[in-house]
Amino acid sequence: MMLLRLLSWPYLRRHVLRWTLTLAGIVLGVAVFVAMHTANRSIFSAFDKTIDQIAGSAQLQVSAGEFGFDESILERVQAVPEVGVAVPVIEANVETKIPGQGSILLLGIDMTGDRSLRDYELKDADDAIIDDPLVFLAQPDSVMVTKEFAERNKLEVNSRVPLLTIDGEKQFTVRGIMSSAGMTQAFGGNLAVMDIYAAQQVLGRGRRFDRIDIRAKEGITVDQCKAAVKAALGESFEVETPSARGRHFEGLLRSYSTAMTISSLFALIVGMFIIYNSFAIAVTQRRSEIGILRALGATRGQIQRLFFLESITAGFVGSALGAFAGVGMASVITTYMSTVLEQTTGFAQRVTELAIDPKLIVAGIAIGVITSIFAASIPARSAARVDPVQALQKGKYQVLSAGENRRRRRMALTVSLISVACLFLSYSKLFFYAGYVLMIVAGLLLAPALTLLLSKCLRPILKQLLPAEGTLAADSLVQAPRRTSATVSALMLSLAMVVGFGGFAHSFYTSVGEWMDNALNPDFFVSPSANLVVRAITFPASIRSVIEHVAGVDQVQLVRNARVSFRNVPVMVLAIETEKVSGTVHRMPVAGTTEEMNRLTGQGKGMMVSDSFAQIHTVRMGDIVELPTPSGLLKLPIVGIVRDYSDLQGSLLIDRSVYTKWWNDDTANVARVYVKKGEDVGVVRQRVIDALAGHHGLLVLTNREVRDWIMKLIDQWFALTYNQIAVAILVAVLGIVNTLTVSITDRRRELGVMQAVGGLRNQIRRTIWIEAFSIGVIGLVLGTALGAINLYYSLGMVKRDLGGLDLDYIFPLAFVAFMIPTILAASFIAAIGPAESAVRGSLVEALEYE
Amino acid sequence: MSKRGFYGLLMFVFLQQDPRQIVEEAQRRSTSQSQRYEGTLRVLDAKGKIIEKRWQYDRVGSHGSSKAVLRFTAPAEVKGVALLIINHADKASDQWMWTPAINRERRIALQDRSTRFFGTDFSFEDLEERDTNQFDYKMLGEESIDGAACWKLQSTPRQSKASQYSHSYLWLRKDNFALAQIENYSKDQLVRRAHYTDIRNDQGIWTAHEIDMHDLKRNSRTILKVEKLQYNVSMKDDAFTLQALRRES
Repeated sequence: MMLLRLLSWPYLRRHVLRWTLTLAGIVLGVAVFVAMHTANRSIFSAFDKTIDQIAGSAQLQVSAGEFGFDESILERVQAVPEVGVAVPVIEANVETKIPGQGSILLLGIDMTGDRSLRDYELKDADDAIIDDPLVFLAQPDSVMVTKEFAERNKLEVNSRVPLLTIDGEKQFTVRGIMSSAGMTQAFGGNLAVMDIYAAQQVLGRGRRFDRIDIRAKEGITVDQCKAAVKAALGESFEVETPSARGRHFEGLLRSYSTAMTISSLFALIVGMFIIYNSFAIAVTQRRSEIGILRALGATRGQIQRLFFLESITAGFVGSALGAFAGVGMASVITTYMSTVLEQTTGFAQRVTELAIDPKLIVAGIAIGVITSIFAASIPARSAARVDPVQALQKGKYQVLSAGENRRRRRMALTVSLISVACLFLSYSKLFFYAGYVLMIVAGLLLAPALTLLLSKCLRPILKQLLPAEGTLAADSLVQAPRRTSATVSALMLSLAMVVGFGGFAHSFYTSVGEWMDNALNPDFFVSPSANLVVRAITFPASIRSVIEHVAGVDQVQLVRNARVSFRNVPVMVLAIETEKVSGTVHRMPVAGTTEEMNRLTGQGKGMMVSDSFAQIHTVRMGDIVELPTPSGLLKLPIVGIVRDYSDLQGSLLIDRSVYTKWWNDDTANVARVYVKKGEDVGVVRQRVIDALAGHHGLLVLTNREVRDWIMKLIDQWFALTYNQIAVAILVAVLGIVNTLTVSITDRRRELGVMQAVGGLRNQIRRTIWIEAFSIGVIGLVLGTALGAINLYYSLGMVKRDLGGLDLDYIFPLAFVAFMIPTILAASFIAAIGPAESAVRGSLVEALEYE
Repeated sequence: MSKRGFYGLLMFVFLQQDPRQIVEEAQRRSTSQSQRYEGTLRVLDAKGKIIEKRWQYDRVGSHGSSKAVLRFTAPAEVKGVALLIINHADKASDQWMWTPAINRERRIALQDRSTRFFGTDFSFEDLEERDTNQFDYKMLGEESIDGAACWKLQSTPRQSKASQYSHSYLWLRKDNFALAQIENYSKDQLVRRAHYTDIRNDQGIWTAHEIDMHDLKRNSRTILKVEKLQYNVSMKDDAFTLQALRRES
């Protein structure tokens, strides 16, 4: 500790800027890690809490996916002797049409029995008249809202609230304001309660319920009750505890959270290189100090411990600050993620409070400290090996020995070979990921040697361009490869991540674009909402004839889609009019023949599945898919595997006739409308709008609007990833600043001599700039190469674990082309400060340095 | 003592010993082919707030085989809302609520019979007319209610799941066999007390024109005033169906 106080502290004080930059690396890495996990946790926790709050004292819930079931099921459940209370529920996210409020969770409940399960405590005594279920039930426009929602929107009893219903925007009357307790806290207070039978009408549900909440009879265990209900209803229904729904939600978001975790770990690894860089530099700079200590009798262990202590201190301070910053960032990310999730999955989950996990904070700090120790281990070992005699000789800097380089190269080659070998066994998850990690390790091991090689390659070019400055800059890189290679490694990793994610995004956009060209080719779409993931509102099949009778309309295809549970995971089922659709949509088959799969699906003898569904659930052609329906277990063989991006969790395409028969429901979510050849699409659209005006509040969306909406969703999905990439690049750029700052400090004497012998300030500036550009160029070359490999593994990872999407390998040339000026500009910006510091330093001080 | 007086005394002594005979006699005396009245409900909550509603009550048949329709007439927000009750001799009744604004019925599940009848202190179960055969009776003694001598009996439902109440105490007036008071218990806790007053003889049937239902858990009370009471009015059986409710909405 004394050494820390006497040696490390003064050194730290002399190099505040560098240590600040080093700490910034740790801070950012840990902050992103903590923020992403806290945001994930907060959303899951809010969802679980919401489920609990809404479930009230319900112990079990009966459901049949999003399609719901006939209300007669309620009596069957209520007749089960083990059931104490069973109440029906309709749950839907509906747009509020109040500016800035987005959607609201509309809970349709049966007031007569629901109070046995849920508490609808009203706000104050004045609301006693509202606490009259009869008025509430007699008036179908009645809603109760939460105190939070009422306050946010200045609503009082008898205020009107506009909500989007099957009949378009409709005014509802606030007949009760629920006080802040239990259920009302769900969805951040964006919750409204209405009579279930009125909800059936306004949401176009017919005589269907979404689920039944159950409380077991006194003296009956939940398991006994569950078994009895299951026995009564058969396999067609899911009978689960409310918390099991949380698991479904988690399953739905698994791919997203995995992607976030991976990119946050990337950021942390990038940070690790910055720490390594700083410590390596510190060892280099303090060689004479170390030499004196060694000469005075300090043991190698003491020197090593000193650097470890420094790394622990730096790691702890940086991690603590990072954890603190991470919690701050988490609230922003959580809000963003909630919006993205609502837009892409239809789950409106408002998060009002962060679920800060002390364990996560401790883990974040521990990861930061361990990363710091790990990053400092090589410099600390080097410090311990410093020869006191050599160390006291001025002007000598440590360079990588040829032996060390050879050792690294050999290791890199071995690791690369093992990684390639793993590729052949990549059907195993373990070998796939082991190969991935080893390939990255090989890249990092090769980085110093390649940095040196590329620096040497650059030297003649730079000399040709600017003889004095170019040569000096290149020499600086060649003489201190360790200093340069750590920064290059950080930059390389960041760029590899950029290329990997960028490539994935590019492949995804390309595939989705092709899919949209093939599958989304109607002239316009009729839907109850502009947000196509909102499936809560449906419309009757009779709408078809209204549209078909419009002059100029060639064909109308009705689609009903919703999630159902398959192997306890929610999957999207699309009920399509196969015969009609096959005439207009030409899907690319992944397995099976188009004609055969269309024929069999249309005849109700099979279903088509998306390749992502097949991948996630490891099913193949001919396998039987069992789906719970209100009429029993629907068993259909897979007759075709197609590319379909209707849902990230994979989709199942069945014929509409199968759906209407098994689900006993003929409603639709979307009508795909084709216009006759030669007709003006705009004119026909207007006619359809006019025709629908008297029927339902349906929207007529153009093909372009739907495509733009999908692309917007994808943009939102990727936006957070891009932000993380930006953070990783920022960390890497901090590394460049750090490297250049040290480079200048190291060469202060050299730069002073240059000025003393007539070197111009601009020449010195240019030297620093060229050095920065060179680091940028080397980082770009290596990063692009490693990125190409990373993209291969990223696509493999996406196929395996992140949604089962089988995307083509398309190298993101445009992305890389964009990154070249970005990184070079970032390098230049990183060089401005150090370059100015180099030219503004006192000449006398510079010559006296050391 | 006259012969008639002697038999009366004999019956009195006999009834004193057999509570079932007492309630069966009370049921017999209150039996009519049909009933119609206009009721005014005043709900007084614990904070003194008063809500008033009006309904028209029609019943055909009696006790275990009766059918009843209760249709709200005021206030305007609830006008037309109706409750159809089909009583059964051997089990709990079937009940449906009709909401004209959405043009549909909803079944009141057996599990929900213990809940409040739309903001009043009556539960759905309290609106049923049950046959005496669904209960066992025990004589507890004699007490006077509002100055009238009454038998105090305990009734216990034969099928425990058929009622929210574990048992009830009934006070039947000795002079006219009219119900004077009921206390309903859930386990050992008194949850509701119905007090019958303004007992008048209408067409030979002693009927309370005011029922004060007190919810002891909520400490609120609902007073039902019976007006324009008529017995044995001509009513059609098919007026007591869901189709009829739909038709008349």
